Amino acid sequence: MEQRFLDPTVLAGISSLDLLAKTVVDGFVAGLHRSPDFGFSQEFAEYRAYVPGDDLRHVDWNLFARTERCYLKRYRGETNTQITILLDASNSMQYASGRVSKIDYARFLAASLFYLAIRRQRDAAGLIVFDDDVRGYIRPSTRPGQLARLFAGLERAEPRAKTDFTSALNHFQNFLHRRGIAIIISDFYEDPAAVVRAIEPLRFRGHEVVLFHVLDPQEIRPTLNSSAILIDLETDRRMEVIPEYAQTTYRAKIDAHIDALRTRARGCGIDYQLLATDQPLDAVLREYLYRRQAGN
Amino acid sequence: MGFLAPWFLAGVAALGIPVYVHLLRHNVRPPRPVSSLMFFERGTQSSTRHRRLKHLLLLTLRCALILLVVLAFANPFLRRSSTSASGRLLLIALDRSFSMRAGTRFADAKQQALALLAAKAPAQKAQIIALGGQVEVLSQPLADQAQLRSAINGISPGDGHGDFGELARVVRSLTEEARTPGDLHVFSDMQRSAMPPNIVDATLPGNIRLFLHAVATAPGSPNWAIQTIEPPVELSDPKNPVRSRVRAVVTGFNTPAASKTVSLIVNGATIATRKVDVPANGRATLEFAPLPVAYGWSRCEVRVEAADGFPADDASLFAVQRSDPQRVLFVHAAGDNRSPLYFSNALDSAAQASYSVQSIVAEQTTDLDPSRYAFVVLSDTATLPSIFEHALAQYVQDGGGVLIALGPSSARSGHIPLWAGGIRTLRQDKADPMTVGQVDFSYPALEQPQPVRDEGGWDETKFLYSAVVAPGPARVAMRLSDGTPLLIDRPMGQGRVVLFASGFDNLTNDLPLHPVFVAFVDRAARYLSGTGEFGGSRLVDSFIQLRSGMQPVGQSTPAEVIDPDGHRPLSLSDARNLQSFRLQRVGFYRVRAANGHDFLIGVNPDRRESDLEPLSPNALALWAGTSGKQPGEAADTLTPGAEKQHVSLWWWMMLLALAATIAETVLASRYMGTQRDEL
Repeated sequence: MEQRFLDPTVLAGISSLDLLAKTVVDGFVAGLHRSPDFGFSQEFAEYRAYVPGDDLRHVDWNLFARTERCYLKRYRGETNTQITILLDASNSMQYASGRVSKIDYARFLAASLFYLAIRRQRDAAGLIVFDDDVRGYIRPSTRPGQLARLFAGLERAEPRAKTDFTSALNHFQNFLHRRGIAIIISDFYEDPAAVVRAIEPLRFRGHEVVLFHVLDPQEIRPTLNSSAILIDLETDRRMEVIPEYAQTTYRAKIDAHIDALRTRARGCGIDYQLLATDQPLDAVLREYLYRRQAGN
Repeated sequence: MGFLAPWFLAGVAALGIPVYVHLLRHNVRPPRPVSSLMFFERGTQSSTRHRRLKHLLLLTLRCALILLVVLAFANPFLRRSSTSASGRLLLIALDRSFSMRAGTRFADAKQQALALLAAKAPAQKAQIIALGGQVEVLSQPLADQAQLRSAINGISPGDGHGDFGELARVVRSLTEEARTPGDLHVFSDMQRSAMPPNIVDATLPGNIRLFLHAVATAPGSPNWAIQTIEPPVELSDPKNPVRSRVRAVVTGFNTPAASKTVSLIVNGATIATRKVDVPANGRATLEFAPLPVAYGWSRCEVRVEAADGFPADDASLFAVQRSDPQRVLFVHAAGDNRSPLYFSNALDSAAQASYSVQSIVAEQTTDLDPSRYAFVVLSDTATLPSIFEHALAQYVQDGGGVLIALGPSSARSGHIPLWAGGIRTLRQDKADPMTVGQVDFSYPALEQPQPVRDEGGWDETKFLYSAVVAPGPARVAMRLSDGTPLLIDRPMGQGRVVLFASGFDNLTNDLPLHPVFVAFVDRAARYLSGTGEFGGSRLVDSFIQLRSGMQPVGQSTPAEVIDPDGHRPLSLSDARNLQSFRLQRVGFYRVRAANGHDFLIGVNPDRRESDLEPLSPNALALWAGTSGKQPGEAADTLTPGAEKQHVSLWWWMMLLALAATIAETVLASRYMGTQRDEL
């Protein structure tokens, strides 16, 4: 059966994030044929033999009592995990070559994830909006009204200033006390090594970190008919660029940047997903969750 | 190809404007925002590339627009032969006037016309014109050679007088209708007498080029002809030395002095022969008397034994009717004995016809029958017996003629017999007598072929008295110097009434003392009796009146005409309706008018045709508008429209410029739209 996905421009026409998230999530969940193993919850996955260095807290002591063998219990998810979305609201996120800007696409994505976590999995969900600092924080919770608060937080997240992962993530440490899933949505215009270096502490603190790299199609494959003066949205710096550079060197550089970020992130156990703002959001989410389920 | 205004080509320098705009235009495109310049590097295009010709198609259109406008102002043209255009109408005029009967002129002219027609381009249209006494357009503009050739072959030599002025008038009317440029080729003997006195009358329209093909360029050959004859119209006594005579004038054209034999032929029999010495290029007058003719109409001719190259004009025809003298009723007032005396003496002196005048006092006319008289004169008769007046009215209705002279008696009563509307007032000034101010010499009773400057003799007459009569729709043939109508002709039924607003008594005017009085009485008598209108001799292309215009069409007695060949040229409808008839041929015409009068008319060609002298080369060149080209050269040009002509292309350039403007507008707006999208 042919799957019809939701065009981001169509989503842009939906003013309510609640309705938008419901449309997206119900759409792709209905298309998944109901998988019990699906989701961000940390459910039992397997037993693994203990090796020195493993955290003793993960040892299944009941099994050890019955069999005197020391096994670690691996979980695929927990029933009440905590999801925190870190949304980049810097000026660069307001770029748009079409009707949907990157910040809009990021809002749609975050709203869909909140809806999935709270309504579908009864997980706690929170939001951190940052640029060069943390501008907004909504504590993860499962309380009634949490989804509405999160949507309101997304509405308030207007782009401004510039991105500074280093200073922003230093503050994340103060908010993310409990282990959970940290989803960072940004365009990651930063050195991949610096990004991973700034995020790694979250990973070390037991968080499962996911990077959603949101880019506009014109940022991946820019087209210039003639030489043009380009303005950096974050720094207001101007630069004259010729079409030949945009069609050759730039594309190579952005591809290298994406590859470097993906490689470095996965090398550190950080999940990475590239999202273009012209891709149907439900299709992208389904693809990502399939891949996550498969353990890739 | 060339340019009529090449100095406008300097405007080509304006092509630099669009090139400058496209080549040196600054990049004014607004900055474009991006998320980050992290992966961009500064790059500047070289000046050459920056100045590249943008929008080459738009530049081409703009350059083409300027170039086309400049070319349009420079007015380019193409030289091409008009044969290829074949848009010019070919007009072939073939002279068929009487002079073309001389020698082989007509055959030569027809042959040349056919040769010109054969050389015509197949698509070129042509029109055939016959130039004779009347200019006849024989065909519509056609391209079909067969029809055009048939039209030329159908032309035969005529007896009329050619007139280049009439030809030019017809060509002007043709071009006014069609507005097509054309070439007029005239095949003629270029007779000098065919050119109107003022050459402006023969001027052709500007879009018509004239090519003259003279078939007789040499000076005219010697030709003797009977120039004029003065025969009597009616003759009552052949032995009367005053009336029974024929005066003829023999004229030589381009001739040496010679002795010529002239004969008088009556009904085919030579009656008399005279020898006359004709001086070189001069004329000689001779007289045949008496003129022995039998009762009835006689066909007479005066013939000169010329032995020249143009025998067709050696004879001059005329018809004479021998009859008893016609009676004229002269009704006058009781106390007026002077008028009948002057009138009858003048009528007796006239040589053309014979009349006997019966004068009678108005009061004694009760029992008279006007129909027994050739015409009736009412001299200052204010009142008439009612019976006679009614008989007189019926007489006029049946075709009779009445001459009314007004005197003091008529003025006192204010009534004019047979004339609706009386006398308005009386003009009388003995101290300052009036004179004749205007004479219509085309009127039959006043007709003079070449009137002199003193109004044909009328200028010397003094009028002390004149009645003022409203002419109404009648024809005013003569007026006094103050505009008062003096001679008025009013048709009534088949007849007519002629009103003379003064008297014949030598008291109200001195007209009876002047020679013009005799001529006036003579012509008026012949006009009123109907004799002079038909009898005698006429010229070709003159008209005779078959019936009065006052009679309702179709209700009159049919007229009858028998031409020189014995044929009846009138159809049954024409015989009942036609008012006048044109005498087209030389010979004797027998005519029976609608009023029952039977006449024989001798028709002669216009004697101007006897002068075979052609126009001088300068005159021909002046007429053709080619002063540097001799007529012979023109005649050699037998390829119609072979010379080059200029075809202007400026409006084509303007059309292309308009198209370029539209295309440039569309293209420029499209480019501008693209730039807005890039913002």
